[in-house]
Amino acid sequence: MNAPTATAPALRAEAIAKAFVSGATRTQVLDGLSIAIHAGELTLISGPSGCGKSTLLAILSGLQPVDAGRVFALDAELSRLDGAALERFRLWHTGFVFQGFNLFPALTALEQVELPLDYLGLSRRQARERAERSLEEVGLAHRMKLLPAELSGGEKQRVAIARALAKQPQLLFADEPTSALDASNGQIVIDILHRIARDHGTTVLCVSHDPRLIGHADRVLAMEDGRILSDRRVTPAHALHGAGS
Amino acid sequence: MVALARKTLLHEWRRFLPAMLAVGFAGLLQLLQAALVLGIFGSASVYITGSDADLWVGYPGTQSVNLGRAIDPNVEARLLMDPAVARVEPFIWLDADWRGAGDTGGESVFVSGIDPRPDGMLFARALSPALRARLYEPDAVIVDRADIDKLGVAVGGTAAINGHTVRVVGVSSGLRALGGVNVLSSLATARELDTDPGDSGQPTYLVAGLRDPAQAEAVARRLRGDRAFGPYEAWTARAFARRSVLYWMLDTGAGAGVLFLAAIVFLVGAVITSQTLVAAVAGSMREYATLNALGVGVGALRWVVLEQAFWVGALGLVGATALGAVLLALARGQDVPVVLNLPVTLACVVLALGLAAVSGLAAIRSLRRTDPASLLR
Repeated sequence: MNAPTATAPALRAEAIAKAFVSGATRTQVLDGLSIAIHAGELTLISGPSGCGKSTLLAILSGLQPVDAGRVFALDAELSRLDGAALERFRLWHTGFVFQGFNLFPALTALEQVELPLDYLGLSRRQARERAERSLEEVGLAHRMKLLPAELSGGEKQRVAIARALAKQPQLLFADEPTSALDASNGQIVIDILHRIARDHGTTVLCVSHDPRLIGHADRVLAMEDGRILSDRRVTPAHALHGAGS
Repeated sequence: MVALARKTLLHEWRRFLPAMLAVGFAGLLQLLQAALVLGIFGSASVYITGSDADLWVGYPGTQSVNLGRAIDPNVEARLLMDPAVARVEPFIWLDADWRGAGDTGGESVFVSGIDPRPDGMLFARALSPALRARLYEPDAVIVDRADIDKLGVAVGGTAAINGHTVRVVGVSSGLRALGGVNVLSSLATARELDTDPGDSGQPTYLVAGLRDPAQAEAVARRLRGDRAFGPYEAWTARAFARRSVLYWMLDTGAGAGVLFLAAIVFLVGAVITSQTLVAAVAGSMREYATLNALGVGVGALRWVVLEQAFWVGALGLVGATALGAVLLALARGQDVPVVLNLPVTLACVVLALGLAAVSGLAAIRSLRRTDPASLLR
């Protein structure tokens, strides 16, 4: 459905279908959806709740398998990988930011960010340096030693972003990252996500129904009932290709 | 490596406290139970462990020291013929009926007739030479400090054993018996008290001291085959003590009861500990799911939970050890027979850590619910 582009898309879904079965009811969430997401930009999928945007995010990030269709992320076909291989793929290539900040209450901001880095096989010093750099990047250099209970909501979300960023992922997924934040903190988080896409060339895929985000995304996909209704570029300078359906 | 398990344990110690207490009390109960079992059933062999003899010779097949039957006194000559044997002493052990001066009714007592000379082997570890010497006096007996009220006498008082008047000349300690009261006398007095005409002063056991105690095993084996001097069997002191204790533990049903109790304690401890750990894991489920989304494998998360379980067990044990030491000291002060040795203590520690591990494994099962996709709402 999407037109071919100058650069290969970082994320690509081809005719994917996903249904959830609860008792006797079967809900078809996605049915034959195709999409391509590009590196270096902040792509926003917006739509009412229940439209299937979170399911799409889960599938594109390798958190959930598809029933039918194919999913490509970077050079891998996610729909062919098993659970362990998907975990490995996520470890090396993806970062996540969730609506709930999901920080361990016992760890300082610095430790929250260091924790996943330990599993990348980095040395203690490397992990520490990367974690500090990430926290500086989200503007929390002076709050590194604090526990989540001592941080504001906006600061907690910035720690969560630093945790995802420190892994230096090519793909960054954010699910309703601003929904739990007030206007100014929401703005800070949006700016940080946008900057990550621009400065690091990261593919940032954000799912939200927060209208404040629309003006800050490079590309906005509107979704409803498991289908993409519109696909438009907000920043003309980045319009490399035409809109999909 | 960020010490997630330990930091969470410290930060949320209130959440883990019930599990620590469960492991601690389960460990403490196992430990005290073991100490009591060792103490109580160990007193079945107090005749052997309180003495210095290397070999015990008694009626063939005797299962416990309190079940001995008279043997031919001539066996003593056979023992002395063996070059490894340095000396031999007879030991008379008999069941008797005690009537105190006070209004205490009848009391079943076990009379131990020994050679009272200062270097005698029997009860060498329980009696001082001065105390033993008092047994030279005819009809003199010594009883345990803990039994004296029960017997209705005081030191210097008189009582009747099997209708024969005896006088209490002193008290010992650590000689409490299983299922009765120990009374010590000289061989001559014991013969007077024996009402069984069939025994006619025959010894129940002959005990031997060896020139080289390390040879006990070989000498016992050598003596066992010979029947020329009448039926008898020889055991090393260690083997006979063990045989007596095991008889009480395993063949009386008491041991099975204790094992059953230990199993219940283990089960209850494991249920409480695992439930607490499951709750703790459930409380951090979203954080674990986030780590899993970031690619940290469920296997690695399991280790975090197991490590938490280990720390819970270790901290619980520290508490149990401190409390256990106080309680054991208290018990000893009250003449309660409690004995602990290193292997049994280690077994209790291993059991308590095993309990923590089993609970940790149960908690790990709940990690299967960590579905990072559930975080996308």
